[in-house]
Amino acid sequence: MATKSGNATALTVLSPIKNGTMGETSYADMTRERCLRLPIHEKSPLSKVPNTYLARLFILDDVFYESLPANDAVFNFSDIWSFFSDSARKKSLPRRDHLKSKYLVFSSNFYGDLDDYLTGLWDKWSYTDHDGNQRDIRYIWEHCVAFDRVTDCAGFIQYIKRCQLDASLFFNGSTDDSLQEQLKALYLKQEFTKFAVAHQGKSAIEIQQAFKAFIARVQPDNLSSPSWFPGQSTP
Amino acid sequence: MTQNLDLTDIQGNIIKAYGAYNYQKARYLFLRIDKGDKGRKFVGAITTKVTSAVPWEKSSKDTDSAVKPQATTNIAFTFAGLKALELPMASLRGFPEDFIMGMAKRKDILGDDGPSDPQNWDNIWKEEVHAWISINGQSIDAVIKRYDWVLEQIKASDGGVTLLTGHRGENGEDDLPYQDASVLYDATGTPTPKEHFGYTDGIGDPVFEGQINVSARVLGRGKLTREGNWEPLATGEFLLGHVDEAMEYPQTAPAPWLLALNGTYMVYRKLHENIGTFNRFLEEQSKHFPGSKEMLAAKFAGRWRDNGAPIVNAPDDESKERWDKQYAEADEAGRKKMLTDFTYNQDITGAKCPYSAHIRRINPRGSLEYGVKDAYDTPGALVNRRRILRRGLPYGEVKDATRDDGNHGIIFMALNVDIQRQFEFIQQQWINYANDFKEGNDKEVLLGNHDANNPGKVVLQVEPGSGKPPHFVSKIPRLVETRGGDYFFIPSITALKLIAAGMVDPT
Repeated sequence: MATKSGNATALTVLSPIKNGTMGETSYADMTRERCLRLPIHEKSPLSKVPNTYLARLFILDDVFYESLPANDAVFNFSDIWSFFSDSARKKSLPRRDHLKSKYLVFSSNFYGDLDDYLTGLWDKWSYTDHDGNQRDIRYIWEHCVAFDRVTDCAGFIQYIKRCQLDASLFFNGSTDDSLQEQLKALYLKQEFTKFAVAHQGKSAIEIQQAFKAFIARVQPDNLSSPSWFPGQSTP
Repeated sequence: MTQNLDLTDIQGNIIKAYGAYNYQKARYLFLRIDKGDKGRKFVGAITTKVTSAVPWEKSSKDTDSAVKPQATTNIAFTFAGLKALELPMASLRGFPEDFIMGMAKRKDILGDDGPSDPQNWDNIWKEEVHAWISINGQSIDAVIKRYDWVLEQIKASDGGVTLLTGHRGENGEDDLPYQDASVLYDATGTPTPKEHFGYTDGIGDPVFEGQINVSARVLGRGKLTREGNWEPLATGEFLLGHVDEAMEYPQTAPAPWLLALNGTYMVYRKLHENIGTFNRFLEEQSKHFPGSKEMLAAKFAGRWRDNGAPIVNAPDDESKERWDKQYAEADEAGRKKMLTDFTYNQDITGAKCPYSAHIRRINPRGSLEYGVKDAYDTPGALVNRRRILRRGLPYGEVKDATRDDGNHGIIFMALNVDIQRQFEFIQQQWINYANDFKEGNDKEVLLGNHDANNPGKVVLQVEPGSGKPPHFVSKIPRLVETRGGDYFFIPSITALKLIAAGMVDPT
């Protein structure tokens, strides 16, 4: 289940990548390269997916070995190991687990409901890769197990939901509003700071007139413009 | 038991700010070590005159003290210098990453961009610097005498070391073999504690365990306890081989123990002050400021320019008059207390001392609790790990107060055991950024790396409920530019002898 906090949803997806290689390159490495070569900022395909607060893609190669447990309540078991046989000692070591395949991890914090967001991901995700080819969302998931059976948006939503984990950690730098509202609010705050600085010390009448012109320019009710764009990195 | 430091083993510049002991002149030399064996011999020769931290005698009956010399000498090395002196690889590998990289390569962290970019530094920083030697003198003659002695040692090294040239000077030179520095004098020729912008400098240096006469100096300069008292900071914040504020030995110490013990790291920065820009900026901004020009200047630094009065206790022109009167009537101990013994507990909004003010940024005292009772273990828990000892003197003179291009600024030296945790953190997070102060990306006014294309602003808050609007200081230009510097290791005197003898043994 997607975890909700107010209007925000936290999504964590682990999609197994096919074992095996194409030529001398594994499917996992090919997928990793596609993730690493994604354009960033304004050119990121995520900037086109509506309502993404923060998202990341990476490859999970394996789980980490957790090493020996810390202090026990009374004494460290490891302190008295020497009293036991070698096989008993080895049995007491933490088990070492490994994954059966590598995973493509997609985690995202976004505004709204999961189905709407995944529809946006399917419909809007697009970019030109470093070789000049136009790519959609299928390019990232191409080598994941059973992804070849995904042919349409409904199938994509179903696939992602089958790969979904519970998630409960949220990006802290965000309010509970839609991305467009947040970007507009940020824009207004910055513009208003500039306004306050520029009109410091002026008479009430001057400030009032300037403020009317300011409001006409920044259009607080118009969420789409003027504002910051998703992914925008410079003013 | 209280900490007893081995003062004969510690280089004197770590414990003493020489300027406060009537050493009015200084000369800084930078060298390259060309041959390991001859270089080590040179270090051995210099070590014979290295000034320790032993207290200077007050009378001839003092037995545990030394005669105060006319000139002091101290020495430190960059990582490249220690390599050139052929320290064992196992010792070199133990030095921290920041020190190994050196200051120029840390420019993104330090915000040394635009006019402060290493490509605009004095020529001397365009080659590899290996060693730093400082001479502080009670007179320029004493400095020159010691300088001549150092030159003799360089000559005697027979090609072992080279004195590097390339410092900018007073008359347009760009190839001087040394950097001179000096206290500034008033019209009567009396030395002052001022720097070129007119601020009184070097008042609130940290006090740590093991320093001399701690109890008399700790007020406002140590660490703030929950009960509101001041205690000396842990020695290990400033000297390697001693326990720090986290009750650990600093992790930045190389092996062996003797190489690190009683040593520390020094950040050397030549900071050019744009005098003309500062004067015009202050003049322009004070036209709109509801208070005097001097009050606005005090809002930038957190202290009034004339006598260093902390603005938190003298927040406007009227209260400053009262403060001055009280100050005039106080005895010496009382005056020191008035200058250093304060907190921001009664100024959580920053209405008196702005959060953007220099002294509140570099040492927020207890104010990062923002009035939340018991937010941390102690009110200054977040601050105690970010303190630096500040050393140095102004350089050059202001010949034309309307211009920026003269030779004037500060030789700034910060001493700490962990450059990344202490100096770099302050520079990156507290000077050039303000998230910890809830001020977004407003930079500190005086030292911030303000961007000419996107000039910054700060907000001078007013008392809530006063009915007054907050005041904005905007279009802040780059007032201070970095002109050079590097990261140095100041070994103990024992370690100097080991280095000189080629006996550093990490096994």
